Amino acid sequence: MHDDPTLFSDGAAPAIDIGVPALELRGIGKRFPGVLALENVDLTLEPGKVHALMGENGAGKSTLIKILAGVYQRDAGTMRIHGRDVAIRSPRDSLRQGIKVVFQEIALINEFSVAENIFLEGHPTDRLGSIDWRKIRTGCAELFERIGFAIDPMARTGSLPVSQQQMVEIARALAHQASIVVMDEPTSSLTPKEVKLLFTIIRRLTALGIAVLYVSHKLDEVFEIADTVTVLRDGRHISTRPIGSHTDDSLIQDMIGRRIVDLFPRQRGAAGSRVALSVRGLSTTHKLSDISFEARAGEVVGFFGLMGAGRTELAKAIVGYDPISAGAITVDGRTLAPHNTAVGVGLGIGLLSEDRKVEGLMGELPMYQNASLASLGRFARHGFVDAGRERQAVQGFVDRFRIKTPSLTQKVKNLSGGNQQKVLIARWLMRGLKVIVVDEPTRGIDVGAKSEIFSLIDELAGAGLAVVMMTSEMPELLGLSDRIVVLAEGRITATMSRQDATQEMILNAAIGAKGRTSHEFRH
Amino acid sequence: MTEILRTGASGRTSFASLTGSGQLVLGVLLVALCLGISAAAPQFYSEANIIAILRQCALVLIVASGMTMLIIAAEVDLSVGASLAFVGCVGMAVLNATDSLALGLVSALAFAGAVGLVNGIVVTLLRVNSLIGTIGTMMMLQGGVYLFTREAVQNHHQLASFTALGAGYWGPLPIPVIFAVAIFALCAVTLRFTTIGRYLYAVGANERAVRLSGIRSARLKLAAFVVTGLCVGVAGLILASLMNAGQPTAGRGFELTVIAAVILGGTSLTGGSGSLFGTLLGVLVLKVIDNGIIILGWNQDLQMVVPGIIIILASYFDLLRSRHHA
Amino acid sequence: MSSVTDRALGPPPVWRRLIGRQETAAFICLVALLVFFSLTADNFFSTRNFTNVLGQASLTLIAGIGCAVVFISGEVDISIGSLLATVALPLIVIMNDTNSLLLGVAGAMAVGLAVGVINGFLSAYLGINSLIVTLGMMFTLRGGVYLYTGQRAIADDAGLDSFIALSDGRLFDVLPYSAVIAIILLGVFVYVLRFRRFGRQIYAVGGNREVARLAGYDVRRVKFTCFVISSLLATCSGIILAARVGSAQHIAGLNFEFQVVAATVLGGVSLSGGIGSLGGMTLGVLILQFLSNGLRGLSLPTEWQLVITGAIIIAAVALDELKRRRAHGD
Repeated sequence: MHDDPTLFSDGAAPAIDIGVPALELRGIGKRFPGVLALENVDLTLEPGKVHALMGENGAGKSTLIKILAGVYQRDAGTMRIHGRDVAIRSPRDSLRQGIKVVFQEIALINEFSVAENIFLEGHPTDRLGSIDWRKIRTGCAELFERIGFAIDPMARTGSLPVSQQQMVEIARALAHQASIVVMDEPTSSLTPKEVKLLFTIIRRLTALGIAVLYVSHKLDEVFEIADTVTVLRDGRHISTRPIGSHTDDSLIQDMIGRRIVDLFPRQRGAAGSRVALSVRGLSTTHKLSDISFEARAGEVVGFFGLMGAGRTELAKAIVGYDPISAGAITVDGRTLAPHNTAVGVGLGIGLLSEDRKVEGLMGELPMYQNASLASLGRFARHGFVDAGRERQAVQGFVDRFRIKTPSLTQKVKNLSGGNQQKVLIARWLMRGLKVIVVDEPTRGIDVGAKSEIFSLIDELAGAGLAVVMMTSEMPELLGLSDRIVVLAEGRITATMSRQDATQEMILNAAIGAKGRTSHEFRH
Repeated sequence: MTEILRTGASGRTSFASLTGSGQLVLGVLLVALCLGISAAAPQFYSEANIIAILRQCALVLIVASGMTMLIIAAEVDLSVGASLAFVGCVGMAVLNATDSLALGLVSALAFAGAVGLVNGIVVTLLRVNSLIGTIGTMMMLQGGVYLFTREAVQNHHQLASFTALGAGYWGPLPIPVIFAVAIFALCAVTLRFTTIGRYLYAVGANERAVRLSGIRSARLKLAAFVVTGLCVGVAGLILASLMNAGQPTAGRGFELTVIAAVILGGTSLTGGSGSLFGTLLGVLVLKVIDNGIIILGWNQDLQMVVPGIIIILASYFDLLRSRHHA
Repeated sequence: MSSVTDRALGPPPVWRRLIGRQETAAFICLVALLVFFSLTADNFFSTRNFTNVLGQASLTLIAGIGCAVVFISGEVDISIGSLLATVALPLIVIMNDTNSLLLGVAGAMAVGLAVGVINGFLSAYLGINSLIVTLGMMFTLRGGVYLYTGQRAIADDAGLDSFIALSDGRLFDVLPYSAVIAIILLGVFVYVLRFRRFGRQIYAVGGNREVARLAGYDVRRVKFTCFVISSLLATCSGIILAARVGSAQHIAGLNFEFQVVAATVLGGVSLSGGIGSLGGMTLGVLILQFLSNGLRGLSLPTEWQLVITGAIIIAAVALDELKRRRAHGD
């Protein structure tokens, strides 16, 4: 009835010419308000080759992928596909150009069957345009059988475990006749067996002459599968070299770019001995199991974990925001019960959320109201706010934190990411906390502002707060923590002091069960 | 960095000019309407007509004061029209049964407050979208009022004090206007100067941030629903007094007029911004238009069309305003 | 944990899949209702009464298809009640002028189409909250009808046999024609939702807007089309209603939108989009229709139906919300 043949992939069968690059990006730039996400990035994909794209969080990998997928539009640069200049303005354009992006966040319709999701970009139809469900079922079953993939095509997608959903997402790349396949951290939630299967699939794709862009920050995998590696850092192109010319160290050097120790000169003294936060046997219904740790006054406890390890879940559970199924949280000797944030903040524990926009800022409201939100009661007499005192207090923090804002009444959404984060830190300092949980404190923040946030966190601990920091960034973890706790799949897999910790130990613990198999691959 | 700051600063001025100009436009519109209507029909400026307009405004403004708080907190109550009718019937029935003004007033207010409480519980505890949830309570009230009484509940005792509620004067001012001014002032002061007011804006702007800051947002919303309910209680009593009866059919479409006035006054349906002063202007504009329709001898059914169109237009402008600053 | 392993072992058995669905609950509810009224109400359990109820239900059923389609796409349309009254005007006026049912229906359809286009444009393309748009439309249309009719019914003077047959004609003297139309339309849209790409796009758009966009669907066009469908189907209901009352009534279809919404939600069509079936919607319609029929049989005031419907809306949405929260684990 409303068929649109241009939606579907049949017209975009890969026309593979070995001499011409499948994809050529030149001088790609992308700016968001307050952040330059990509600047002058080049990338060339050859047909039949696996090109790895590496970089830390915030290096600009996801932005680049979203430009390829048509989710964002580039601000600068040119894009050529099989030698032709193209403009990609929407996901539909991207698909039509033969690009298939496998996203890290799973892009499947939960309510649909697995088989229907495989053919989401174009349901096969009969001559009358009716959907051929039998073809969808058998097509999916055949595809799965060919790649050795044991999932019931008729299962409801939303009922599958995340790792299997990820595999479905990957298998879609095969059903869709793409000439360029982009995979964004595809192994982040896969089991070792599935990782092996994924690599088989990738080899099958390259054998067909398809160009694969493999985005990852895991060294093992990249050495295993890639032909060429491009490294991005802070939105800039750093290097493109054949994998053979790289070593672990040279890759890390490219990704990190500077010696961690120099970046954050630690100012504060040693941690105190008073236990400010104690978590015993904490579990949640969906993610966390049996988490126990302590944080002392003046100490920074860094939690490291890969995507999906449960960092954010833990942060939200500790402060009383998300419900827990078992365990006890004690702040300064007093138990957090009943389990809600009103009690939590009353006891002196608060969260600096990873998602400033959704869980922190009130974008439409003036900056000073954002800063004073948690402590408004202190500026009130008989329920009436003493605006003079309130603004005076906020002004104090603006000066102390060097928050750059034209005025106190500036809408907070108009500030840069770094200044927004300072406002949110000020919100908690005005309230006076004993324990602050910070989740990815520098996400979406310019490099320059990052070190300022680091010194603020250092200062917080120096002032006697216990800081619990959730992070997926190694330099942040090693630069700030007194003690390091590693999470994998909702459990604590290692605890170590900063002095004893090495990057390798931490990564091994974070990869957990998956790591052992990827080592098998290497030997 | 300086560049960011500069765009930010210009964003601020343009916003200030926009909200400011929004109310300015509304003010100019109001003046133009008054001039235009009085040019066509001089009796517009008669004392009787002005008092009639003020009385009409009073009913809407009383409920709109509560509704503004609710919409600022990013919720809405569509059951106010149905509740208005029910409240009048309940108040009148109790008055008839007990011959006591106090009991009549208290029971009507208690009923209206309870309706607000139920709405609040449906929205905060059961987490039903307030637009849908209050449509549900609206239907229950509409059906319920007919089960309660088939026809109008007549005023049996004709207590002078009850009649005064709607028709009386205090000096030159009708008593409903006094009530409206008092409730308006109370809500305006609450929104502007108290912690509760600030929290309402905060909840509307970002409820998660408010919860994470240790503030019990659900209670706050519940309170806003109850306050709106109580406002409906006052308005329902005044209406019953004016009609000298409890009318089960009264208040149809009332919710739309109220919401149209609030949105027209610049309060955003997405929450977190708006002001009661804007609502006051919105109420005046709508009611002057209504009055103009009558006084110019136009078809009164236009009174239904106008808020319908205005609510769509106003939400479109609201959307433009927020897009402009996204 | 155990639930995860269960899932990993394969799909649950059919009976368990059925138990999880709201359609099953609606079906059990309907059967219970039928048994209860058969035992308590007079003249309830008879072919005549059942086909009558089907005829009465046809209005809600036809409009309910549109309502369900809009819901599945993740939007709302509550302007359909007023539309019922609106489309009767061109229908009756044109028929009175021209003595042609076809021209009258064409006029009604044109008005319905225009309303659908406006609703769809404002909601899907301009991005205004669809509840507000259609709420505004509901009042604008109703006010327009009041204006045009002066709150008096416009009688059908043409008295065309074909038009009257829409109200009291029966196929093989059994099934009212209105029910036949409803069943045909139901069949068409069950096919569309299941076997046309467009139908699957509606589910995908409502289920996850972003995923649908990434799959290359034109999200706004899909939503726009759903609004048009909803208005056109409501127009069909409006024509049948006009035939039944033999005139264009200014109060026709008052509160109709809420009955339809209640029936749809009751049948397991989720307000948040992407979930639900026309079968479920049909069950919801039948439950409410038999409820009011039975209440009348018990000589209870029919206003109970309004109260119960309101409660059902709240309960159904609250349950839906609870299920979602369970699934997301917070």
